[in-house]
Amino acid sequence: MKRAGYVVLSFIVITLLLKGCVNIDTPEPPRRQTETSKVEEIINFPPDDKNVTINGVDYLQSQAPVGKFGGTLTASTIGEGPKTFNPFNSKDNISTLMSEIMYDGLLTTHPVTGQPIPKLAKDFTVNGNDYIIHLRKGIKWSDGKPITADDVVFTWQNIIFDGFGNTSVRDSIVVDGKLPTVRKIDDYTVEFKTPEPFAPFIRMLSNPIAPKHIFMPAVQKGKGYFDTFLSTNTPPEKFVTSGAFRLKEYVPAQRVVFERNPDYYMINTKDEKLPYLDKLVYLIVGDINNEVLKFEGGELDVIGLQGANVARFKEQEKHSDFTVYNLGPNTGTMFLSVNLNNRKNDEGKYNVELKKQRWFQDINFRQAVDYAIDRKNMVLNIANGLGAPLFTAESLNSIFLNKDLKPYERDIEKSKELLKKSGYRWDKKGHLLDRYGNHVEFDLYTNAGNTEREAIGVMVKQDLEDLGMKVNFKPIEFNSLVNKLVNTLDWDMVIMGLTGSPLEPNGGKNVWMSNGTLHMFNQRPANYTKDDRYSWEKEIDECYTRGALATDFETRKKFYDKYQAIAYEEKPFVYIYSPLVITAIRNKFKNVFPTSLGGVTHNIEEIYINSSPLAGEDARKAGEGS
Amino acid sequence: MQILIYILKRILQSIPLLIIVSIISFFIIRLSPVDPLAELRLNPSVSQETLENETRRLGLDKPIIVQYGKWAKSFLKGDLGITSNGEQVSTKLKERIPNTLLLTTIVIFLTWLAGIPLGVLAALRWKTPLDRMLTVLTSIGMAIPSFFFAVLLLIFAVKTGWFPVGGLTSSNFLEMPFTAQVLDITHHLVLPVTVLFTISLAGLQRQMRANLLDVLDSDYVKFARAKGLSEFDVIYKHALRNAINPMITLLGFEFAGLLSGAALTEYVFQYPGLGRLILEAVLKSDINLVMASLMMGAIMLILGNLIADILLIITDPRIRVRA
Repeated sequence: MKRAGYVVLSFIVITLLLKGCVNIDTPEPPRRQTETSKVEEIINFPPDDKNVTINGVDYLQSQAPVGKFGGTLTASTIGEGPKTFNPFNSKDNISTLMSEIMYDGLLTTHPVTGQPIPKLAKDFTVNGNDYIIHLRKGIKWSDGKPITADDVVFTWQNIIFDGFGNTSVRDSIVVDGKLPTVRKIDDYTVEFKTPEPFAPFIRMLSNPIAPKHIFMPAVQKGKGYFDTFLSTNTPPEKFVTSGAFRLKEYVPAQRVVFERNPDYYMINTKDEKLPYLDKLVYLIVGDINNEVLKFEGGELDVIGLQGANVARFKEQEKHSDFTVYNLGPNTGTMFLSVNLNNRKNDEGKYNVELKKQRWFQDINFRQAVDYAIDRKNMVLNIANGLGAPLFTAESLNSIFLNKDLKPYERDIEKSKELLKKSGYRWDKKGHLLDRYGNHVEFDLYTNAGNTEREAIGVMVKQDLEDLGMKVNFKPIEFNSLVNKLVNTLDWDMVIMGLTGSPLEPNGGKNVWMSNGTLHMFNQRPANYTKDDRYSWEKEIDECYTRGALATDFETRKKFYDKYQAIAYEEKPFVYIYSPLVITAIRNKFKNVFPTSLGGVTHNIEEIYINSSPLAGEDARKAGEGS
Repeated sequence: MQILIYILKRILQSIPLLIIVSIISFFIIRLSPVDPLAELRLNPSVSQETLENETRRLGLDKPIIVQYGKWAKSFLKGDLGITSNGEQVSTKLKERIPNTLLLTTIVIFLTWLAGIPLGVLAALRWKTPLDRMLTVLTSIGMAIPSFFFAVLLLIFAVKTGWFPVGGLTSSNFLEMPFTAQVLDITHHLVLPVTVLFTISLAGLQRQMRANLLDVLDSDYVKFARAKGLSEFDVIYKHALRNAINPMITLLGFEFAGLLSGAALTEYVFQYPGLGRLILEAVLKSDINLVMASLMMGAIMLILGNLIADILLIITDPRIRVRA
């Protein structure tokens, strides 16, 4: 009897405990489709910044409304935090972000139009292969030394051209094995010359400029020393920087704190020195879930949102203290690639089985696959409606996007038509046979662990099975997949994603040029000399070579339009969709002008806080009460 | 003297063990299909030249035996090498070890402080409501997975706003006076300590209870009671001293867990300890960092066992005679 009493008692205790954890699901009203109008149509952008000279100092004057000084903005980065604070050593996004805050480049990108505009430079002129840069007079490094042409020449000649640190900038400006030249004209004028007209060079001028008097000793000690120079263990006061914020504190695996540069060269219309914010904090968080919790707990002010969180935040938005912005499709492209390789490997065996080669190299087959893919369905089911179907090689926010290439719907009848044209037929069970009677069966790979790509794989498999193809979907470990794509080349189809640049298509030359290191769909071994390009590969090579050599935007656009049209027709990559960028920021921040190219905090100097601390607290409480 | 020889013997015995551990771990990491350069290879803006330079810098162009030899040589010299990002492994570890030690020592201290007395209490009040209650509570503690419990507490922190959501210090930590800094760290430690405490308390309390119950049932305790010793003397002088021996072995294992025991909880709470560092190192096949942490784990385990054995020799005369 007594024992039964204990059993009942423990049962009650456990039930009560569990009750606390369980949230009873009440039926929810069907979710509305999140409105996906682009932000640029709603926001009133201030006029462009102007150059103003006061007492011999060339300031950059912000035309945004005048705000209040003080306060902190807390953002976050996912991962293990920056690896270095040396802008020339950064290889990962977070290190690059940190060094961009600390060191300004000569030019920057207009957040709306994407054209290059002056930043550390006062103005610039481009004449064919000749670039003249005028610097601002009277502006200083954080230790009080003036920023002059010597710093610019040193940065380009002695760090970048001589191959110190991360050499990707140097690699991308070599034309026919020749580097551009840089020359000091006077203390505030610098001239760059590329060996031939080379349009992508102008974007490279947004690279950070280093203080010569600090970096010179490090460069003299050689490349090995330079790799460890200004690492994350360097005390913050050792940094001599030019950006709107300077490093205050770095706590490994916790946060990076920047403080206002009191002598920055940007001013508001009342001639007060910007930035408005006292501090800029980046919390280092390990994963997305923790980031969301931190935003909800009020520890973060800005957050990038994904998937199901978007709908949830959108619903809370009305009675909370933040606004959710839809910044449009991002630069990511998700695609299904077909292996067009027709070469043999070292052992004399074909990389791709001969019968499969006949399928994959057939344009009708590739187009049939393309028409069978239901992009809209994938956007709805995988990206929670937060994506845009993609049909072009350039991402949807690219300034070089070919707008003539129209999207289309899934058309299974057209697919079947195309397959019939190439002699494919179906057996009684509906399986697809090629003209030699082989069953069409192949492997589809993607990297395991990426749930989005895995979900796309499952849906691609279903879509293609409607055509009677047998698809063996195999998610494999990321490194093994890369090995297949780059070395062994023994794959049939793969679902991959690449990040492009919305400003400069030439960044994709490693993917699209036939000798590129990432020319996945027809990867040639290194130092391959035989010319076995498909005719359309030749045309794309031509577009890329000439597009980079032309300098004015209109001419360049023609070449890049053509390459996109070829890719659209030939379908070496079947593009699927681009995710939308959704960001939430607290309402107390004013002068927030989000753009697709720049994100929410591109004008961090102009952003200010407008609310008494009490009002913010009230809003937060209201948010919690809901 | 005898003890010193014993210690020396044990240390000599552990050397081949460490060599075997290092060989196995090194080869498993290197033979796994993880390519430390995979991400670079898929980056359209990285040139072939850069890739080759990186391969050479990380020593990936040499046969695996040579790689191991190089690593072992510098390890013996006390140089842990550099991470794949070019930072010193030793500085990386030094950043994190104090944080992890802070968390684990507090937890061990609290669990032993609470676990032993509760175990004794439960054994003495065997089958009373108090004992049953403790059994139910420790069952829950043992059954709940640490990461799940941690996530529950995080949600609790977000909903109530009483505790910070992970981390170790607030962003204005530098500007605080000393006492506020201590309070800030304590505030951040409450939740992770609660998780680890609940889970390890359960095991410890049950172990202590079972040991003492065993001993209380033995002949010499009955004899002591029959002899007419006071209950206090029976329990605290005779029974407890015998029951504590297995706990000392357990303490040795706890010592081994000082640096690695809290990894999962650290990860959920975004605690800046070794757990997060090593997890990322494994994922990126950052060999020097992974090897350093594995060797550290192995050495801590050997050391923990050694300490436990020495403590046993001191507390238990029977072992001293045999040794």
